[in-house]
Amino acid sequence: MIRAEGLTKYYRVTERKTGRFAALRTLLTAKSKLVTAVSDMNFEIPRGGFVGYIGPNGAGKSTTIKMLTGILHPDGGRVEVAGFSPQEQRKEVAQRMGVVFGQRTQLWWDLPCKDSFELLAAMYKVERREYDKAMSEYASLLDIGEFIDTPVRKLSLGQRMRADLVAALLHNPEILFLDEPTIGLDVVAKTRIRSFLKELNQAEEKTILLTTHDMDDIEQLCKQIIIINHGQKVYDGTLEELREQYPMPSLLDVEFHGFVNEAHLPEGAQYDPTYNRVKVLFDKVTTRPMPLIDRLGECAEVRDIQIQTPRIEEVIRQIYQEGHAAVKVKS
Amino acid sequence: MALYWKLIRASVAAQMEYKFSFLFSTLLMMVLQALDFLLIAAILLKFDTIKGWNLYEVGYLYAISMMVLSLYRTLCNEIHAFEKYTVQGEFDQLLTRPVSPLLNLFSRSLYLHQIGGFLQGIVVLAVSLWGLYGQGVSVAKALWFLPVSIVSGSLIVLALGLATATIAFWTVRIADFLPFTVYAPINASSYPMHIYPGWLKGLLFSVLPVAFIAYVPSLYLFDKGGAWWYLLLTPLVAAVALGLALAFWRFGIKRYHSTGN
Repeated sequence: MIRAEGLTKYYRVTERKTGRFAALRTLLTAKSKLVTAVSDMNFEIPRGGFVGYIGPNGAGKSTTIKMLTGILHPDGGRVEVAGFSPQEQRKEVAQRMGVVFGQRTQLWWDLPCKDSFELLAAMYKVERREYDKAMSEYASLLDIGEFIDTPVRKLSLGQRMRADLVAALLHNPEILFLDEPTIGLDVVAKTRIRSFLKELNQAEEKTILLTTHDMDDIEQLCKQIIIINHGQKVYDGTLEELREQYPMPSLLDVEFHGFVNEAHLPEGAQYDPTYNRVKVLFDKVTTRPMPLIDRLGECAEVRDIQIQTPRIEEVIRQIYQEGHAAVKVKS
Repeated sequence: MALYWKLIRASVAAQMEYKFSFLFSTLLMMVLQALDFLLIAAILLKFDTIKGWNLYEVGYLYAISMMVLSLYRTLCNEIHAFEKYTVQGEFDQLLTRPVSPLLNLFSRSLYLHQIGGFLQGIVVLAVSLWGLYGQGVSVAKALWFLPVSIVSGSLIVLALGLATATIAFWTVRIADFLPFTVYAPINASSYPMHIYPGWLKGLLFSVLPVAFIAYVPSLYLFDKGGAWWYLLLTPLVAAVALGLALAFWRFGIKRYHSTGN
């Protein structure tokens, strides 16, 4: 459904002038260098795939998505989306894909959501019947009825994201590109969007590619993950396979009050007497957190508990540290 | 076309969300432009002519310039203010639509705040033509040519604006360029070209072809030594300029670099 072959993109980084006539002076005395944003990227996503495209900031995630959606022209290699080139056959691809950039809206800022939907429907030549069907289906799933007549600028971030998703789906695209769709949302809003995306992928077989920094997005949604760092692919496979190779422990951080019975602490716990705290690394998949917390509660009076979920940056660091230069590629 | 009207209606609706701001800024714009013309009128009334052109003849040039600039700003505002798309990365979104990005920009471009200049241009034009008529000059040709003049003139300004907007694909910002590529040339076109030094005249007849908006046809319209075929030059230059600007725009889109997050 989506294929990238030897995809490469350079950026020309120009030293920008400041002060008077800055843009003019920048143009005239262009001192610039080439930086590789994406280098020789290859991957394939099947129909109905749900791919998490992850990596640290500046790794080339957005650049790749922009090439897949036809915004940027690659400097090398080629892209195919639904059998078309997004650069050469922009309109064909546009009709078949929906795009949501989490950090900016595609809706008309000063108009009610409903008006934006109708404008987009006209732009994509969506028939009335199709439009009504999409509206009744998605509007109820995402519960947007309550704010459909509100101007977009007055919506909360979560409401706006729901409206943006509906907007991206009006023309019934086969493929969805979502750039950080859960960024900045609270837990309730995140859960709602996740279950919606899952439904979309399972029931309607839509192919979805999303970028995220949120491990929960990846764990709950993605069938395939592609990890990219410094513009290069470092992993392509399922989350389970990745877990087998690289454990991704969560960190349980407990602060105690009063005497701590060190002998009773669970295996692997690190006790820090200065702050009277205990840290335990555990894998959410193999160890359930509640018994662990109960066990710690038996050692002393607990004052505070924090659980840190693993960050994808941590996994990437591990991949490098363990010297796995050979990229694992799913054939 | 149906889509264009739908989007235009939406953009008017969005602007009307701020009715007071709309009325106030339109009014302010008109007052500023009126002051601008009063200044020239005062100079001309004092000195009578500028190198052989009287108040009414300069008024004609001035009126046409004002009208085409106002039309351009009213109908093509998003081209003029294009840098907001490159600075904020909003251009990305236009490229993901099944409609050409340029058409999409035009359909958001109606900016009624600027219509005041057009209305004032009509007044100045009427006064100038009436004055010329009073001096025994035949104004029939000028009236007949008016629609061609306005349309071609607006397209020439659009070509300049579009070419300037295209620069944003490389420099991101274009505000520094606009004074040189749009404002100054349009301003220059409100006066007869022969008052300018040779190098400047050369520019205004070629790279920034604003001489063809009103000056060149007026040489024939007001019997100042021009031939009938001067009239053909205006639409011809407009077509060529717009064609070149479009080619430049298409070239620029391929070099578009977008912005990071």
